[in-house]
Amino acid sequence: MTIETEWRDYDVVVVGSGGSGSIAAHAAAESGARVLVVSKDPIGCSDTKISEGAVTVREVGDDSDTQAGLSENLQMAGGDLPLPSITDAFAEDSKVSYDTFRAHGLRPPINAAGDKPQAMPLPMGGHTKRRSVGHANNGVAFGHAGWQAVIQNAQIDYIEDAWFLELITDEDGAAKKVVGGLIYDASGGKLIAVRAPSVVIAAGGLSTLYFPKTDTMRGNTGDAYAVAARAGADLVDMEQVQFLPFCLASPPSYEGLLCGEPSTASFLGVLRDKDGKVILDGVYLRTRAECSSAIMRAVEDGRGSPNGGAYLDMTENMKPPLSGPYFYRFLETSLPSALKNARQALGKKAGKVEEAWEVRPGAHYMMGGIRVDAHGASVSGNGDGDRSRGIDGLFAAGQAMGGVFGANRLGSTSLTEASVFGNRSGRASAEAARNRKSGSDDALFASSIDTIMKRFGQSGSVAAATLKVQLQKQSWECIGPVRTADRLAKIDELLEGWTQQLDDVAIPAYTTWNQAFIEFEELRNMLDTAKAVAIAAKERDASLGGHVRLDKGYISAFSQPYSTVVRHEANAGWQVQRAARERTPLQRIVSYKIQDAWRKAQAKALRLMPMSVKDKILEKRYRAIMGASGAAPQVEPGGVDAAIGEAA
Amino acid sequence: MKVEIVLHRDGQTEVVEYDYQKREPREKPMALDVLLQAQATSMPDLAFRYGCRARNCGVCTIDINDKPRIACRARVRDGDKLSPCATLPVLSDLVVRRDGIARQMQGRLPSGGGGNDLNVEAPDAYHDLTACIECYACLDNCPMHARNFGDALPETVAPEDMPDASAGYRWGNPFSLLKLQRIRLDPVTSVADKAAALENALELGLDACVDCPGCKCGVGIDLKGQVVKELLDATDLTS
Ligand SMILES: Cc1cc2nc3c(=O)[nH]c(=O)nc-3n(C[C@H](O)[C@H](O)[C@H](O)COP(=O)(O)OP(=O)(O)OC[C@H]3O[C@@H](n4cnc5c(N)ncnc54)[C@H](O)[C@@H]3O)c2cc1C
Ligand code: SF4
Ligand code: SF4
Ligand code: FES
Repeated sequence: MTIETEWRDYDVVVVGSGGSGSIAAHAAAESGARVLVVSKDPIGCSDTKISEGAVTVREVGDDSDTQAGLSENLQMAGGDLPLPSITDAFAEDSKVSYDTFRAHGLRPPINAAGDKPQAMPLPMGGHTKRRSVGHANNGVAFGHAGWQAVIQNAQIDYIEDAWFLELITDEDGAAKKVVGGLIYDASGGKLIAVRAPSVVIAAGGLSTLYFPKTDTMRGNTGDAYAVAARAGADLVDMEQVQFLPFCLASPPSYEGLLCGEPSTASFLGVLRDKDGKVILDGVYLRTRAECSSAIMRAVEDGRGSPNGGAYLDMTENMKPPLSGPYFYRFLETSLPSALKNARQALGKKAGKVEEAWEVRPGAHYMMGGIRVDAHGASVSGNGDGDRSRGIDGLFAAGQAMGGVFGANRLGSTSLTEASVFGNRSGRASAEAARNRKSGSDDALFASSIDTIMKRFGQSGSVAAATLKVQLQKQSWECIGPVRTADRLAKIDELLEGWTQQLDDVAIPAYTTWNQAFIEFEELRNMLDTAKAVAIAAKERDASLGGHVRLDKGYISAFSQPYSTVVRHEANAGWQVQRAARERTPLQRIVSYKIQDAWRKAQAKALRLMPMSVKDKILEKRYRAIMGASGAAPQVEPGGVDAAIGEAA
Repeated sequence: MKVEIVLHRDGQTEVVEYDYQKREPREKPMALDVLLQAQATSMPDLAFRYGCRARNCGVCTIDINDKPRIACRARVRDGDKLSPCATLPVLSDLVVRRDGIARQMQGRLPSGGGGNDLNVEAPDAYHDLTACIECYACLDNCPMHARNFGDALPETVAPEDMPDASAGYRWGNPFSLLKLQRIRLDPVTSVADKAAALENALELGLDACVDCPGCKCGVGIDLKGQVVKELLDATDLTS
């Protein structure tokens, strides 16, 4: 049995149907393009759908909010790695692009004046203005809107249960252009060769590299990065994976799900090792990376908890008679899904914070990605890069793209990233397609089709699913929340070995939903993505943001910032270099450092006070936070407000 | 713990007994844990859907002892049988073809509105329906949906008679009615579009609901009261 190939023609192919993919498809169709959406999960099923549904919309809380202010907030949080042109675009479009979701049925709460969505009560930390909007049913509400944008539109064709496997490009001297792509249509049991001058990659992230230590969707196998890299595109900031420090370590069914953030540990929460010794105090003021490395260091020294983590002990918060009840209410309201996860997983006593919780870091979001400009177009070259040196016709949006967040992502910004750059890349891809109809040479597809056809029925002695599990374990060890020079060298070697084993993976010949083939292709993408992360992590040889080196210190905020750029060249293999970035003026950094030191000193003084004094002070503080409503402002997992120590 | 897994692959059906190894002595595994372990060990080619492991994405639905369950949050017991959802055609092992449902909705869901028109609050009932995670557990025992397969289950239909999912199924189901009722509750929907939504419900087979004991939602939405009854009351089917 050989798998058949069907040929199709479109102006724009969009890979992925989460927030960024569905909005990109809509925008491209509105611009007059014939669009094909390809989604390996059912339409709309994505990180977007399972998110907390908090989104940044400029000016919703405060008329004095400005584009420049929002853009600067992103820059500061990201350690100056984000591109100013990209953060400006984000700030400029955050309002209009949010309305694309609303046009498809997303219905936020509306303010009293009836002229704007209702902003959450406080600015999320790192944001200097109130500009986050929450939604009933969280991300599921975004899922419905994106679903409708794709399903409803007669200008958009879509195939779900379909894996985009490879970009097909043409070379003209040094210039490369997209001519189409290859798709495995699992329910149709066939390959689809699609001729198209523009492809928008909106295929999400890579956290499945660390499964089960992640809270994201299964489909995050790095397909976006691997497919782009194999076609010769640049990837940027690939060492910057965001890990949340407090995810569940057990029971197995709940592993990886979020149970807290540094800020929700509140004023008296500490981290303890297996012997009960405090390994980190003042948790609520710490960065996510600080908490993760404290946990992983304990594990390293053999002082970790049974499931390779540590204990988040918040019980002291409960003890003071006046402030204790406030603390529980704070916990209940600031991150409700996290407390629910903890209660279900760890039982009643833990749910009432009468005992410590076993926690372990988990992968959440990829800040690096495909290197693009402010329209999502592939770029290459020095500094901010140049579209004429990128791959013509290749676009990226959402988590797949890099350059928006750099070393850290601000709260509630990822859904905005999806809509802003979904819209922008959708429009830009349609325009590019108008200027360059594909008229491609089918022979360019031949060798890729041939390679893929031969995979069906490939005989071998290993299973892709088995190698995937091995890779996940080692990715955690070597390119996970903490890294060392030795482990980066080790993963290189391992990746080499597994890559060689690909030809020895057994794949049966049947063509309808062949899971072995699916696992194989995802494994291939995970291997390429892990390689890109490892090589960028080596280049950044000290700690910064999501990249924590156990054997090195932190990169000084006063040094010249740079991004890492990784690419794969047909002859020379994997390459890495640095792209210079501009630094925030010194004065601003110094004032931030002073504030930070002051906060930590205050926290320490508070802890050492007698209980009765402490209790009164804490009661006052909780009252100030929770105000008349008696509820704490919600924090978003991964948002800077969730780790005050990261607030810029 | 022994669990039966019903496999359909390449035209063959087979029942495999999988021996789940508990990872903690007191572990009470979910169905998804069993499938993940089976795939990571002795059945690497096992096909099943999942995404979030937290009852949010809605794709992991399978039948446990012939009843639809959300696999990531359904505990299994010794001797349980895991099989693909009986209400949709099987593609491979526990994976069923889903897209015939969504495709029937094309052209039936108005989008639009802009500017200050969007600044209206939707009623609570709208958000009650938006809680739907699209798990399709509600297709179970739905006579309207069964019309697509000759008033029976897809497994009774010969391949050449199987309705074409890529064209969208002819007859509706609780999920499609929920989508239409949601349009009717949306303050942004025009009067004409609200009327069209009701027409669409009738066209998809709302009449089947008249004598039906009603449907059950996988996440607890009151489909009978908040969807079916609301739609029926707006027509003259029950008067
Ligand atoms: C638990 C959780 C809570 C979060 N909360 C928030 C929040 O409150 N606010 C916020 O701003 N952000 C939040 N985030 C982050 C945010 O949800 C995501 O970063 C964002 O939704 C990503 O959108 P996307 O469109 O880029 O990718 P996704 O929504 O992940 O979509 C990716 C799509 O690509 C498809 N795909 C992947 N590979 C292929 C392939 N090879 N072929 C075809 N299709 C493919 C997938 O099927 C999917 O449809 C949260 C994330 C998680 C996990
Ligand atoms: S009430 Fe209507 S939608 Fe519900 S199961 Fe019966 S026929 Fe189906
Ligand atoms: S209505 Fe309920 S059962 Fe039906 S698809 Fe939605 S969530 Fe699932
Ligand atoms: S895996 Fe997402 S609902 Fe079960």
